Amino acid sequence: MQRIRTTKERARRIDLMYFARPHWLRQWRFWLSCAVPLVALGWLFTMHAQGGQRAFSSGPLSRSHAVFTQRCELCHLGRAGGYFQNVSDQACLSCHDAPLHHASQTFTPACSSCHAEHKGAPRLAATADSVCTECHANLHSRDAALHVARSIAGFGEDHPEFAALREGRQDPGGIKLNHYLHLQSLLGPSHTRVQLTCLDCHRSPRGGNEVWPYAGVQSRPGSATREIAEVRTSRDASYLAPPRFVENCAGCHWLDFDKRFPQEQVPHDKPYAVHAFLEKRFAEYIAAHPGEVHEAVRFDRQIPERPAVARVARDTREWVGFRVEEAEDLLWRKTCKQCHTLRVGTGPLPEIAKSNITPRWMPHAEFDHDSHGMMTCESCHTKATSSHETVDVLLPSIKTCQECHREQGPAKEFAEGSCFECHQYHNWRDEQPVKGKYDVHQLRSASAWRTPRS
Amino acid sequence: MVALVVATAIYVPYSLRVPAPSGGSAIGLIYGSVGFCFMIFAGLLGLRKKFPVWRIGRAQTWMRAHLWLGLVSYPLILLHGAFHFGGPLTRVMMWIFTVVFASGIVGAAIQHCMPRIHTAQLPMETIYEQIDHVRDQLAMETGRLVESACASLDGELSRASMGQLAAAASAGTDWDVTVADGLGFNEQASRQLRDFFLSETLPYLEKVGSRGMPLADPMRAKAMFQQLRILLPAPLHSTVGDLETICEEKRQLDRQRRFHLVLHGWLLVHIPLSYAVLLLGAVHAVLALKY
Repeated sequence: MQRIRTTKERARRIDLMYFARPHWLRQWRFWLSCAVPLVALGWLFTMHAQGGQRAFSSGPLSRSHAVFTQRCELCHLGRAGGYFQNVSDQACLSCHDAPLHHASQTFTPACSSCHAEHKGAPRLAATADSVCTECHANLHSRDAALHVARSIAGFGEDHPEFAALREGRQDPGGIKLNHYLHLQSLLGPSHTRVQLTCLDCHRSPRGGNEVWPYAGVQSRPGSATREIAEVRTSRDASYLAPPRFVENCAGCHWLDFDKRFPQEQVPHDKPYAVHAFLEKRFAEYIAAHPGEVHEAVRFDRQIPERPAVARVARDTREWVGFRVEEAEDLLWRKTCKQCHTLRVGTGPLPEIAKSNITPRWMPHAEFDHDSHGMMTCESCHTKATSSHETVDVLLPSIKTCQECHREQGPAKEFAEGSCFECHQYHNWRDEQPVKGKYDVHQLRSASAWRTPRS
Repeated sequence: MVALVVATAIYVPYSLRVPAPSGGSAIGLIYGSVGFCFMIFAGLLGLRKKFPVWRIGRAQTWMRAHLWLGLVSYPLILLHGAFHFGGPLTRVMMWIFTVVFASGIVGAAIQHCMPRIHTAQLPMETIYEQIDHVRDQLAMETGRLVESACASLDGELSRASMGQLAAAASAGTDWDVTVADGLGFNEQASRQLRDFFLSETLPYLEKVGSRGMPLADPMRAKAMFQQLRILLPAPLHSTVGDLETICEEKRQLDRQRRFHLVLHGWLLVHIPLSYAVLLLGAVHAVLALKY
């Protein structure tokens, strides 16, 4: 039997009612088209039920605000009767004070224009350079006077040299210090040869309990300036503590004043205190040794312009006066003068010029020595080992910083070079305390917010 | 493409100028609104297909608009979100949208290439929904063919064909040829043909899909039919040829079924997820504008 393939036979093979029976593929498509959006909607409702408004968040909050993830309304303040609940500065200022950047700035941006939230950033303070260069690339001020460079487009581009290193700037310090000399082999305590290093004198306040190798035995608190004291007492390791005589110098610089007191030194203090100390010590001495009052004493120190004439005192008071005069002669003309600048004062005692040690060379920028601890001091402070003069500013040049710090390119091969790395926008010196208005339950729990606390 | 180039040209300086480009900025909102409008328009294709008689443009134009606007909407939404997927809702939306976008591209590519493959590989193609019906028809037709051939081999004159009967009638005139010879009587061959039909052909034709069955493999099928031709007398070779043709048609129907699944199966992913992303997008738009 041959297979019949006539048109009629072929037509008979077709089921004419096929379209009336929905195909499974179409059915599945229909049901899935209904089910999947419903599942999505169900997921949304579940998320909303479990996590409040977190499901609708446009992204994770920054680390500092993450604790308020459930409490959108803390920042998204709605106006009465209004639909929109955008974040306003008012919400930020209810918890934070944000001092003005500069009194003469031409406009004040909104908080959220710099601090972009819902980006999951670890730090909200890590603002983009563009928000700074929006003004600083072509700076204008309200009073037309500029205190900084007019055009700064970035750290790696046209950032000017650090102010302390600009032409004609000198270290205002009043302590005569030769860095070069101090980094040579010197005669140290107990007449031994020592080789000082930078960290023997400059150390972070968090240096711990490590002993200062060239410290003396005496200490007198309270003489430091406020800024120096802040750095010293701070546990912040960003800045190195300015050297102190008692910790860094006294081991080698012995403040002896008379051969009768071989183991004693005058206090490292103001001249009047030194004078009082000398009078007291010599008075005590002559009281204990009355036989020495009328002895002729030759001044045995080799001090220029000082005649070595033997003097005989008529009484103990005059003897004390002679000895004090001789000791002060030694101190004012040699011992103290070696480091300090002494001026003729209004009274009989000289005035010592202020030490003027600069604790922070860049008052408008932040620097962290601690995070640079993997480098040698000399690698940045290149001039320190060759500096002979006190007036030399040993701050590293901006070029040194730029070797590592640049604006991040796609390759991210550099250390952070953004503005925020060194500069603060807000003038935190003007910061006012903020009066808190929330309690823990209000900040943490949505249900506690609605339920009155017992 | 022009829209995409323009959007990118606007975005690059914007992203360099603004510290943290986001969907909430003016430009971000424009990207989001335009992208969402494109998505909605692309989604309207389904509605257009439901009402083919509406005089609102040709179906081909709608399909092109669906393809191009859908294609552009994804990068626009990426620009809207500044290439961040954001929070839980937007992240889920973006992943769904990514699947929709990818499945759309895959679907477009399949629908572009498959018809040619269809034409080349499926000359016996039928209406997809008729495949099961045609398969049943083929099974019945094969049964009839085998029954007819076996009847003649069994020597039943009542079930012999007209040709066989004519051969049997003329057989009596020759000395050495019997009536049975004229009918091509061969019980052995009949059994073998019936066995082949029952064990191989019928199960193959009745089964939806036929993966793993010997006749599903053209080479093995060819060898099996060749073997059958050797076993059966020459007059039945045309029947064997018919069986082979029917099996080939079944193979093509199976292949058509597979092609159809590929051609339309991606829509099971694309369409439901499209509706989901449109729904979530609407929720996102309302809430994002609020906050």
